[in-house]
Amino acid sequence: MLSQTVVKRLKEIVGEKNVVTDKVGLLTYGYDGTLLSGEALGVVSPQTTEQVVEVVKLMNEHNIKLVPRGAGTNESGGTIPSEESVVISFTKMTKIHEIDTENFVAVVEPGVINFDLQVELEKKKFYFPPDPSSYKASTIGGNVGECSGGPKCFKYGVTRDYILGLEVVLPNGKVIQTGGRNFQSEPGYDLTRIIVGAEGTLGLVTKVFVRIIPIPRAKKTMLAIYDKVEDASQTVADIVAAGIIPTTLELMDNLLINTTEDFTHAGIPRDAGAVLIIEVDGYPEDMDGQVKTIGEIAKTIAKEFKVAQSAVEVDQIWTSRRSAFGSVARVRPSYGVNDITVPRSNFPKAIEGVLKVAKDFGVTIGVVAHAGDGNLHPLILFDQRNKEETETVHTAEQALCMMALDLKGTISGEHGIGLVKKKYLDKEFTPAAMEAFRKVKRSFDPSNRFNPGKVIDL
Amino acid sequence: MSNVNISKLKGIVGDANVIDSPSEMAKYLKGQGKPAVVVLPGNTSEVSSIVKLANEQNVKLAVGGAVVDTLGITGGIAMVMSRMNQILEMDHLNLVAVVEPGLLHKEFLLKVAEAGLNFPPEPYEVETSSVGGCFAIGDSDSKSFEYGPTRTFLLGFEMVLPTGEILDIGNKCIKNVSGLDFIHFAVGSQGTFGIFTKLLVKLLPAPEAKKAVIGTFASMHKANATFNTLIKRNVHPTRMNLINASLAKTAKSGTEGQLVIIDLQGFKESGKNIANEVATVLTLGGGFDVKIIEDEVEYEQLINGWLKVRADLNAKPAQTVEFVVGPMKMPQALAQLEALTGDLGAYPGVIVEGLLGYVCLALPEGTDKLALATKLNKLAMSLGGNVKGLLGHKLKAEVYNDAEMWKQTTSLLSELRQQFDPKGILNPGVSLEA
Repeated sequence: MLSQTVVKRLKEIVGEKNVVTDKVGLLTYGYDGTLLSGEALGVVSPQTTEQVVEVVKLMNEHNIKLVPRGAGTNESGGTIPSEESVVISFTKMTKIHEIDTENFVAVVEPGVINFDLQVELEKKKFYFPPDPSSYKASTIGGNVGECSGGPKCFKYGVTRDYILGLEVVLPNGKVIQTGGRNFQSEPGYDLTRIIVGAEGTLGLVTKVFVRIIPIPRAKKTMLAIYDKVEDASQTVADIVAAGIIPTTLELMDNLLINTTEDFTHAGIPRDAGAVLIIEVDGYPEDMDGQVKTIGEIAKTIAKEFKVAQSAVEVDQIWTSRRSAFGSVARVRPSYGVNDITVPRSNFPKAIEGVLKVAKDFGVTIGVVAHAGDGNLHPLILFDQRNKEETETVHTAEQALCMMALDLKGTISGEHGIGLVKKKYLDKEFTPAAMEAFRKVKRSFDPSNRFNPGKVIDL
Repeated sequence: MSNVNISKLKGIVGDANVIDSPSEMAKYLKGQGKPAVVVLPGNTSEVSSIVKLANEQNVKLAVGGAVVDTLGITGGIAMVMSRMNQILEMDHLNLVAVVEPGLLHKEFLLKVAEAGLNFPPEPYEVETSSVGGCFAIGDSDSKSFEYGPTRTFLLGFEMVLPTGEILDIGNKCIKNVSGLDFIHFAVGSQGTFGIFTKLLVKLLPAPEAKKAVIGTFASMHKANATFNTLIKRNVHPTRMNLINASLAKTAKSGTEGQLVIIDLQGFKESGKNIANEVATVLTLGGGFDVKIIEDEVEYEQLINGWLKVRADLNAKPAQTVEFVVGPMKMPQALAQLEALTGDLGAYPGVIVEGLLGYVCLALPEGTDKLALATKLNKLAMSLGGNVKGLLGHKLKAEVYNDAEMWKQTTSLLSELRQQFDPKGILNPGVSLEA
């Protein structure tokens, strides 16, 4: 419980309505995209950097820890108030300070929703490439915190590749600016890079300088249908070998084809083993050649290959993929999502590995994957109300992580570590690397007050 | 007096790989410092042993690929990585390579090209730059608009920490957000976090076609105006560079005037059309001798000319000032710059990397660099930029009148360095104070 003095001060700093301390209110800030939950001592929603500074200083005086939060859509437990702490919510810092398309930069507050930024950019024929599936709800600050990915990473990379600079409130309450409006502004060390993906453990981001680029002039969307997942993987390997870098190589397996068909009626054969959505972008005159090459590659092995001829057809193709996560709720009420990633060449083995885990643990797993990146989202379907089953699912998730590491991959391709995967981190990293993380954390936050217990323990 | 124990070093790497006669050491060294010894390790464990020895004896140590900067290591050890120069793996399926740090950047580029692949970062110095140095410096360059800065090409590494432990991190996944991002944080740390001993490098498929468009201009302003036209027309070449008349001859002999180099890497079809569009824009903008270069040899010569100019400027950081503005703000920047410098064409050196809004100036002898940089930073800040790097950060804080921010930043930098290198052994010549 926060003392009345602290609550009063918080209200003075951020305004009365921007402090939550009642039980019901706190409950709503105790969750994220995972099955975990916690209860904060209080929730504050500052509206300016100065207010963030004041909150941090106040919390330091009273030795209270802070957990930053955007929309809370993350899949890592990164925003769960797991230790006694106050949640600092950035959803009231939603200003887009500036969109400067001429100079390829936008300056936004952390609470801006990814989608809202995209809408503004689209008016000027620009965009911000990182667009995680949560983009209609998730905030830029949250994307920065978790270093989110999305379906376009094969060509465009993840969030860190589009962050030019940050304004950061450090754990001691001081404000620094990292980077700037271009690639060349880092002060000696690339502080921006270490803060992106650190889940708020090193500093609170209060302003973000993002790189924006023009929407490509042309785009082509293709769909290939296969008997087996391995065949789809073969197409992916062959496309890369042909020197083509598609923006997107999205794969769904038979289970997901069926759950999405129930909902979208897109006409994908229900007995198909896999579908692959392939998208290329660039100059209009380069499209035909690439589509032709991809078509020739896919047709050697796919049972069906088509090129979307209109925007409506593109939408049809994407509707299945976008509704994939939601669609499994028709089968079982809960799902556990994972973001294990392996080197592209090990993708077929990772698929085999997923099937083996499903069999070994007697669980149902559907697979959605960013196949070009080797990034899999095995969805384990279950019922959270069944305790025993839930335990089994956790064990199966652990087995998936170990499988990815055995295939020389990573336990997180785009969701982050948070609480959920922290226990496996020392399986991926050597003691020297773990110690390097701690050295970094100690340099920024020696008292361990910012998002304690996430990513690593001090 | 030096504490370096030469016989112990010989015990680690063998007699032949320890050099302590000043005349033989010279070719491995640059700068005014006088290290006691040059040592050439052959593998990671030797690097680790040397660093541990330096810690035990409290001796400073600096590292280089082929040549070591001796600043701050008088009486200490200069470690040259040139014996660790192998490509350990070229993985076509995953488009990655595992490379030792002492491999020359230019040799790596050749091998990558032979494999039909592409490693975009430009060599910092054409002849002596190493792959390890490329990531230790970790800069961006004139191709970064298209390909991203150098760091985006590092997926992992093996590193000997300043205390001698070996750290191994990363994997072949092009998407990896696990743990804190120490992988990219280490890029650009100039060997203060550790010595790279293996690099896991991301590669790309080679572009289907490469061509260039060149043109010469009577003034820097006219030349640069064509860049704005191109950006407005939504044309974003691979490189869009401008070299002033004083340096243009170095890039391409016989050039009279300011030289524009537009590099186009990509697909055949669009490449053809864009080259024509660029050539038209250059001609209409007042360019003469506008030419589309498709011949492979001529193209390589041109790019090498550019790299030579770049490298000459990189070689003398004390006599250059670099700043960045919003790319479309460059016309104002050049106009205001000229008020400070006089005729830009005649200035010892001016290059513009148009897509990045970047300018590098080679200063006339006797210039007060800091005074000029301070003026340039104000100029750049009013046009959406700043002087590059640590110096720029300091000057920015001065403009904000925010001494506290500068103090916080530097204390954070030195705390980080101290955490990794408690005794201050490694690369003491690298300053994080500006």
